[in-house]
Amino acid sequence: MNYGVVVYIIGWLMNFEAAFMTMPCLVALLKGEKEGFAFLWVLLGSALIGTLIVHKKPKDMTFYVKEGFVTVALSWIVMSVIGCLPFMLNHDIPHFVDALFETISGFTTTGASILNNIEGLSMCSLFWRSFTHWIGGMGVLVFMLAILPMAGGSNMNLMKAESPGPSVGKLVPKVRQTALYLYGIYIALTILEIIFLLFGKMGLFESVTTAMSTAGTGGFAIRNDSLISASPYIQWVVTIFMILFGINFGVYFLLITKRFGYAIRHEEARTYLLIILTSVIIIFINVRGLWESAADAIRHVTFQVASIITTTGFCTADFDLWPQTSQILLILLMFIGACAGSTGGGIKVSRIMILVKTVAKEITSYVHPRSVKKVKMEGKVVEHETLRTANVYFITFTILYALSVFLLSFDDKSLVTNFTAVAATINNVGPGLEAVGPVRNFAEFTDFSKVVLMFDMLAGRLELFPLLLLISPSVWKRTKKV
Amino acid sequence: MKSPFSRKNRGLYIVIVGCGKVGITLVEKLSQENHDITIIDQDSEVVSKVAGTYDVMGVTGNGSSYNVQLEAGVDNADLIIAVTASDELNLLCCTIAKKLNDCTAIARVRKPDYTEELSYLREKLGISLIINPELETAKEMARLLRLPMALDINSFAKGQAELVKFRIPDTSALNDRKIANINKDFNSDVLICGVERDGELVIPDGSYTLKKRDVVTFLATPRHTHTFFKQIGVDTHQVRSCMIIGGGKTSYYLAKQLTEMNTDVKIIEIDQKRCEELSVLLPKALVIYGDGGDEKLLKEEGIDKTGAFIPLTGLDEENILLTLFAQKISDTKVITKINRTTFNDVIDNLDMGSVMYPRYMTSETILGYVRAMQNTIGSNVETLYNLFDNRAEALEFNVDAKSPVVGIPIMELPLKDELLLAALSRNGKVIIPRGSDIIQGGDRVIVVTKHTGFNDVADILR
Repeated sequence: MNYGVVVYIIGWLMNFEAAFMTMPCLVALLKGEKEGFAFLWVLLGSALIGTLIVHKKPKDMTFYVKEGFVTVALSWIVMSVIGCLPFMLNHDIPHFVDALFETISGFTTTGASILNNIEGLSMCSLFWRSFTHWIGGMGVLVFMLAILPMAGGSNMNLMKAESPGPSVGKLVPKVRQTALYLYGIYIALTILEIIFLLFGKMGLFESVTTAMSTAGTGGFAIRNDSLISASPYIQWVVTIFMILFGINFGVYFLLITKRFGYAIRHEEARTYLLIILTSVIIIFINVRGLWESAADAIRHVTFQVASIITTTGFCTADFDLWPQTSQILLILLMFIGACAGSTGGGIKVSRIMILVKTVAKEITSYVHPRSVKKVKMEGKVVEHETLRTANVYFITFTILYALSVFLLSFDDKSLVTNFTAVAATINNVGPGLEAVGPVRNFAEFTDFSKVVLMFDMLAGRLELFPLLLLISPSVWKRTKKV
Repeated sequence: MKSPFSRKNRGLYIVIVGCGKVGITLVEKLSQENHDITIIDQDSEVVSKVAGTYDVMGVTGNGSSYNVQLEAGVDNADLIIAVTASDELNLLCCTIAKKLNDCTAIARVRKPDYTEELSYLREKLGISLIINPELETAKEMARLLRLPMALDINSFAKGQAELVKFRIPDTSALNDRKIANINKDFNSDVLICGVERDGELVIPDGSYTLKKRDVVTFLATPRHTHTFFKQIGVDTHQVRSCMIIGGGKTSYYLAKQLTEMNTDVKIIEIDQKRCEELSVLLPKALVIYGDGGDEKLLKEEGIDKTGAFIPLTGLDEENILLTLFAQKISDTKVITKINRTTFNDVIDNLDMGSVMYPRYMTSETILGYVRAMQNTIGSNVETLYNLFDNRAEALEFNVDAKSPVVGIPIMELPLKDELLLAALSRNGKVIIPRGSDIIQGGDRVIVVTKHTGFNDVADILR
């Protein structure tokens, strides 16, 4: 284990977080809020420690998968702890566990809140909440890779650990160039959404925060009622952008490079859109009676479906009151999640596709025991290694899930609440059902349960293994010379 | 690939097909030189290993397939390098890439069947560079055997000139002589390009005085090298007899060259069928059917009396052992070929005569070409060689008839310091230029210099 390089990268991370914090400071300055000083102090502290750490570059910059995973997991924890300090210092969220929950929920783009009165927060804190979504959506280490010239192919190990999906590929040969492309697309889409929201007469501040929450598929809104009171136009714009941010960014790259044929044939994106379409139709039929006009019904259904499958977690209607079929379908969509290589969470469409195809293959092999068949994705044979990790991922996911539901049970809430609370956090969605439904929040849980849910959020965002590796003792064992 | 972001100082977009020993060496070197590299290999395990170790993109698939090439971005590539195990596949890769996008193509072709047709292949298929590592290795070995005193010999200007490196012996007539007087005094036609003294490299002018034990590199035609060495009292007798163990491709190429030099060649090969093949292909060589690892057989065939001993089996370990054995029982000239490049430290500590790494030779040739290619974008540098551990460059320029260097005697040209006009190549003939010679349009000029970044022959002027 190369500790030097891990610490070095975390040092850089602290510098970057300090740089990010200039944004809420700026907001506070413009709005004349004294709460902004909390951000300023944390910014200075973080920058100071960060600068001291990166002052000396470690001699050994080698980096293996192990270091990549540990660095990413530690980075996210450090980032969340630093990110929660301003909330405590300016008394917007005075309790440490609550502040950390809110920040982790932000960075992991979950959007689950412990706040009863969101509108009571200062503007700069509201901005920071949405900004954490934006940073966490594409990943802060990917951002660092785009900016910092760190030579060597081992950077890929960082990107692999932070980017979601069963197999992480590059768009172009160089890691740095790939990271630049990803962020370029990300920023362009975000700005596009801001412009569209501004056309809908939404205020600039709200447009920016809403766009950032959509981009990271997070779900923090700046109003207590999320987007329920927003105009139909705004709701449609957000719906469309949620769906766009849930698509594999590789597709956008294909479009930029004018390879339209490949973009259209992208199997994962097609399946993803097909799932959305099917779900909208089923739920629409199921809930048609709740609204007078079909236009309202279709808008709310599409919004909710898009919000859940992309794991954003905005809402325009309280689906806790919808019929069972719709609720169950929405819960299932939480697990499916968005495309790999997007900013969304969940198990990911491509991984689900691999799992389903594997099952189909197994069934064929019972009928024809000697049949030879390979699982294919995007027209290519899926490597055994990818299959294996997808399977292991699913098993680990299930175990962690069951364990979390059990740990939550000490709070003596209903099964539906516990089940959906874990589903909403581990898949980075946000709202669940009943006590954690769209118009309610996570404030009622005990600190212990909140810690469990925080772990789930981080594990879900980082695709389980980095975090599990962090608590596995064999990683920390020093190899001694005998 | 068009990018919305600026790409200053970008390298070339290179697609490498085949990730064997040479492929990986190329990836390693080229990725350090800031090129955008995509690799293609059939074996997904190899691809993910290489893509995980170096900053390159990997594509699994058949490199000669149109779709795989598209996926790897050959349509945008500047260069494709095909180094798979199969000659035919390499040629096909390059041909398809040429049709897809008129990029530069480099192929490795090793079979003796094709060696006679290389120039035809190059011309008709439009492949810029065809490399044959076995042939290159054999040529290099033959050069060393012809001139056992030389430390290093580099072929230059398509083999018509060579750069020879040697250490001036204590008793040589070259000691304390001014460079300007050398050709006159010894009636020779050589050009001293560089002198290394106490680890310092100098590109000397006429007034420089040579001392004993200097390491001198000079450029000359092979014929003149010989006379020059004779004149200055360096032992020049070439190796008269040679024993080769193993009858692979390199052995065939080497034996062929040596028999053309009238050297007695003895090949020991373990496979009877191959022996029969070789005896047909190499009528002048003596082919012995037997195990080259058999001590008795080696002694029987006179390992202690042969002029040179070259083990060329497929196994590095066996080659090394054979060399050490030969060193122990005689003072014959030995050359060891090593394919793998691990455990270099151990190998360096063994006394194994001249050591050759075909893998490096192949990748060096390709690297040289790529560097020159990068230089040629917007310039007319034909080839570029790095000399003296990158401390100097040798550049080959095409001279345009309108160039300012044309039509003026060389001694009247205002040349830069630390620069040498080493050779002129006119109508395929190499001339070592004298002050009164005049450069003409269409010539190729070889310049040795410590300056870098030359783009045009006009850059040699002050």
